[in-house]
Amino acid sequence: MIVKTQELTRTYRLGASVIMAVNKVNLEINDVTFVSIVGPSGSGKTTLLNLIGLNDRPTSGKVFFKNQDTALLTDKERRKIRLQNIGFVFQTFNLLPTLTALENVELPLALAKIPPKLQREKAVQLLEAVGLTDRLQHRPKELSTGEMQRVAIARALVNNPCLILADEPTGELDSETGFEIIKLLLDLCRKHKTTVVVATHDEKVAKASDVKYSIRDGVITRDGG
Amino acid sequence: MNIFFRGDVVVVAEGAMVVQAFPVIGGKIPESVVEKVQQVNGVKTAVPMLVTFSYRVEAVIQLVPSNVSIGIPSGNWSVLVGHTPLEPGGNWPSADPDKKEVVVGPSLAGQYDLAVGSEVKVENTNFTVAGILDSRSALLSRSIILPLELARQLYNSSPGESWMGNMVVVELEEEGTEKEVADRIETEILGVEALTTDERNEIIEPLLNDIETWNLGLSSALYLLSMILVTMVAMMNVSERRRDFATLDAIGAPKGSIFRMVITESTLIGLIGGLAGIVLGSIAAILIASIYSNIPLSMFLLYLFNIVSPLLLVKILASTVAVSCIAGVIPAIAASRMNIQEVLRSDY
Repeated sequence: MIVKTQELTRTYRLGASVIMAVNKVNLEINDVTFVSIVGPSGSGKTTLLNLIGLNDRPTSGKVFFKNQDTALLTDKERRKIRLQNIGFVFQTFNLLPTLTALENVELPLALAKIPPKLQREKAVQLLEAVGLTDRLQHRPKELSTGEMQRVAIARALVNNPCLILADEPTGELDSETGFEIIKLLLDLCRKHKTTVVVATHDEKVAKASDVKYSIRDGVITRDGG
Repeated sequence: MNIFFRGDVVVVAEGAMVVQAFPVIGGKIPESVVEKVQQVNGVKTAVPMLVTFSYRVEAVIQLVPSNVSIGIPSGNWSVLVGHTPLEPGGNWPSADPDKKEVVVGPSLAGQYDLAVGSEVKVENTNFTVAGILDSRSALLSRSIILPLELARQLYNSSPGESWMGNMVVVELEEEGTEKEVADRIETEILGVEALTTDERNEIIEPLLNDIETWNLGLSSALYLLSMILVTMVAMMNVSERRRDFATLDAIGAPKGSIFRMVITESTLIGLIGGLAGIVLGSIAAILIASIYSNIPLSMFLLYLFNIVSPLLLVKILASTVAVSCIAGVIPAIAASRMNIQEVLRSDY
């Protein structure tokens, strides 16, 4: 098991009122599975991914990452887990605009202090795998949205993470490109034996998943079981 | 020892304004004073000079602008120039005033394309260039050196007139007797001041101190201003790139990396700004100096590193870089402490 949550709760204060973004969520995510979390906008999908991805700390409850209670980890240790074990794919791609596609993919390797030659080899290999051999030296603004998301997928996979968290990865893409991206993500993750958690409101994406959760007002339910 | 000429005591008319070694504004020295100075106990030689400064020179010397013209009795050239040689082919001016010969500094010669034998017109009088000084001294390179008699004629003093110049350079018989001999000259000769090197330095010391204080105040204010500006630029930069920093944070970049990135950027701003400042500042300074002194820009460029020492430029650049580095600390802290989920959520 990669991730397990126990009564995971996250609230936000908005003026005088308290928003319950994630409400006592209990879920288990196993190795090499494709999990979808489906819900409308504002249902708590992104907050839940941020908590699972150790980008945020819960108000109450716990997140276990590889059976380790993450509440006990220091900020530095959480960063290290994010860098070495988790890949992120964002809805708006979040590529660094001043870097080329190749440099964007090399970035996590550089942060992990991998030797430059190896960085280059691995980044090129992954960009080839996502079909961007001829776009290595292009900056994000010179790429289409589909190509940008492919670069983001390559960046997420480059450190060989055991978990990929994708937040609305098809949100900015047309349906055809979106489907291609999901297919690519699935293929690559199966090939790399990586678990994928996708937050989406697209039922087509959800149908492709091994495990489907629905989330509404911060409360999660497992579909079909 | 004086850096401008061989001599230890300078005698000027009482009330003359002396800057470093030369009377900038001052009365004339009569011939009798020169003779009296020569007779004072402890004086080895007393050489009269007529020094005329002109910063905006057209007003004084009509054709050949220079910063200074110096009249010295023929044969006493070394009192002013020491061992400075003449460029090959040149000679010191003839003692015969009718030959109307002068020696010019290399900067003037370069500016007006003068060579040995060239004709120059000074104060409506034609002179022949007998020689060109081979000197890099700022003063000598902008000087016209001529026999005292000629200088006196040039500045409306007929040969029979009793004044000799506006200063007397005194060499001593014995080293270390500067103060005693200067006191003796002032006691024995009325209407003159005898200034030792220390006394001459004391005259300009308060002025230099004032300039230094102003300089320090101004540069401190400018450094503070540049620090604020760099901080603001870096803060704007960080603010515009919040999503980039949040992304870096999300993918696990160590806080130190983000901190160093911002510090490096602000330091680069300082380095580029410092270099641009030095170049633009130098251009502005020599442009103003050139307009003010009527000396071509090319002359200043040629002697730029004599005017502004490379060490000073390095110090300025280093301090600018240091200030920018410090200015980057607050934006760097802001970038490394960014709330990732808030920034990333605000995207959607």
